[in-house]
Amino acid sequence: MAEGSNYDYLFKVVLIGDSGVGKSNLLSRFTRNEFNLDSKSTIGVEFATRTINVDGKTVKAQIWDTAGQERYRAITSAYYRGAVGALLVYDIAKHATYANVTRWLKELRDHADANIVIMLVGNKSDLKHLRAVPTEEAKTFATENELSFIETSALDASNVESAFQTILTDIYRIVSSKTLEQSSDPIKAPTSDTIPVAIDSAAPASGSKCC
Amino acid sequence: MVVGDFDPDESEQTHSNKPAPPSTLKPDVDKIVNDPFVSIHKSTEPEANNPPKAVRSASPSDSAKLMRERSIRTNRRLRFIECLRKDDINIAELRKLAWAGTPSTLRPVVWPLLLGYLPLAAPARSATLTRKREEYRSLVELAFKKERQGLDQQIWHQIEIDVPRTRPGTRLWMQEHTQRSLERILYVWAIRHPASGYVQGINDLVTPFFQVFLSAYIDSDPEQFDAALLPENVRDAVEADSFWCLSRLLDGIQDNYIATQPGIQRSVKRMAELVARIDAPLYAHLESESVEFMQFAFRWMNCLLMREISVQNTIRMWDTYLAEGTDAFSQFHLYVCSAFLVKWSEKLRKMDFQGIIMFLQSPPTQDWDDHEIEMLLSEAFVLNSIWHNAQSHFGAK
Repeated sequence: MAEGSNYDYLFKVVLIGDSGVGKSNLLSRFTRNEFNLDSKSTIGVEFATRTINVDGKTVKAQIWDTAGQERYRAITSAYYRGAVGALLVYDIAKHATYANVTRWLKELRDHADANIVIMLVGNKSDLKHLRAVPTEEAKTFATENELSFIETSALDASNVESAFQTILTDIYRIVSSKTLEQSSDPIKAPTSDTIPVAIDSAAPASGSKCC
Repeated sequence: MVVGDFDPDESEQTHSNKPAPPSTLKPDVDKIVNDPFVSIHKSTEPEANNPPKAVRSASPSDSAKLMRERSIRTNRRLRFIECLRKDDINIAELRKLAWAGTPSTLRPVVWPLLLGYLPLAAPARSATLTRKREEYRSLVELAFKKERQGLDQQIWHQIEIDVPRTRPGTRLWMQEHTQRSLERILYVWAIRHPASGYVQGINDLVTPFFQVFLSAYIDSDPEQFDAALLPENVRDAVEADSFWCLSRLLDGIQDNYIATQPGIQRSVKRMAELVARIDAPLYAHLESESVEFMQFAFRWMNCLLMREISVQNTIRMWDTYLAEGTDAFSQFHLYVCSAFLVKWSEKLRKMDFQGIIMFLQSPPTQDWDDHEIEMLLSEAFVLNSIWHNAQSHFGAK
């Protein structure tokens, strides 16, 4: 919270995936360097931010961590709109959470912007002896579906920084090249060097859907 | 950028190295199981064995105030006992008393009476309890008779994930016995309510009931209790009573948990409309920062503020909700949530989007005791009496 409000880019990213795969811990590891073995379940959506440096630019990530349970889908999917990135998380030790990745991709196709950047994240890589999803299999799946891929452990912190850094860099590259290409686009025409990406459009949109 | 350090104090809170305080079972638990009123018929003197934590070390100047508070408490308790000793309890009188808070030792009988789980007429009570507990036992047997394969896998899977992360770090809830009880309560409730099934957050709602009912049988802090010490019949009784009372509470708010959660959507919408009326500057500020009520109030409705305040706070709050009637968990609750939001108005109006969301996600209620909760309830009461019958004002923009 103590981060300054100066940034060059503001990116909205969602964390999605089955219940219990470690989404909230990935977020707390990234934003507060904290891990909690028995953290409470996420109800609806929770929010955190962190600012990082990409190619010399200050990029602020607004991350919405969503509840994994199906019943919350109506609520959580409202947050997909306007998101420029999604971390789709599964648990490498629970095959069912990986099998559900296809369903989550469909969720994103149905509710998120078409050009959202998606990263497949196999979390709990510390549970080596319990591995149920081979790295190569997930990697192949990711390639076929044009997703980036990484394995992380929120518990021992490995690759967490890298996962977020990678997706935010990917988004940054796309957005900055687009800004150049589409500088004639009246909606996206940059008026200053600060480009808040889709944040403002996201909020009112879900409100009107509420009944 | 700030990278949070591990706060040594914080980690100590959850994983204390201190030895657990002793767990003491009452000597006459078998009597209490059959007749929870045993202690009420017995006791004429004010409660002596359950000193509230505030009395620990008072300076002399505080002692007069403490004496006065204690005598008020004693008086209230006597009025409760008088009310509860009648063969046919006057529910209106009981509601009136309970609204202002129920003494902790009386909650195990007052709550079930208010919920209609325990009959008001004394002669019917024991038989009803026996029957309901027996009924719960057969529901459990039926639900689990086919072992794991026979369970509804989707419901069971979610419950299995959530039970270990219910009240994490609290001794009572980290124990095998309590977790198995919680699992059974949630699963039996879920399969009996297919329209909603189990929804995350319902697990939180079991804990106040379980702790209150457990407290009837023990002389130590329920949260620190060693559940292995409980005789089986007592554990079964606590579990069954929790199940039935949870069921009654949820009957009033099932709309919160069915597909698309219309009950919550409605409450959040009405809360926004209400706040627009009672604190227009705050409402305008939230709007200008693009903060939506759904972004913070969803959880307030879904878990009845249990993620924002302590279980002790919740228990005090439920004294009043239960006194109002089970409707309170949807109706009165939205006034409480509105009062809760408006309470921080001045602070919030100085914050930006991020500040507001972060603040409302973990509001500073860690030091709250009954006093703050009672303030909140009074404010909600006032809002309720002004606005509840003026709903035509709502939505007439």
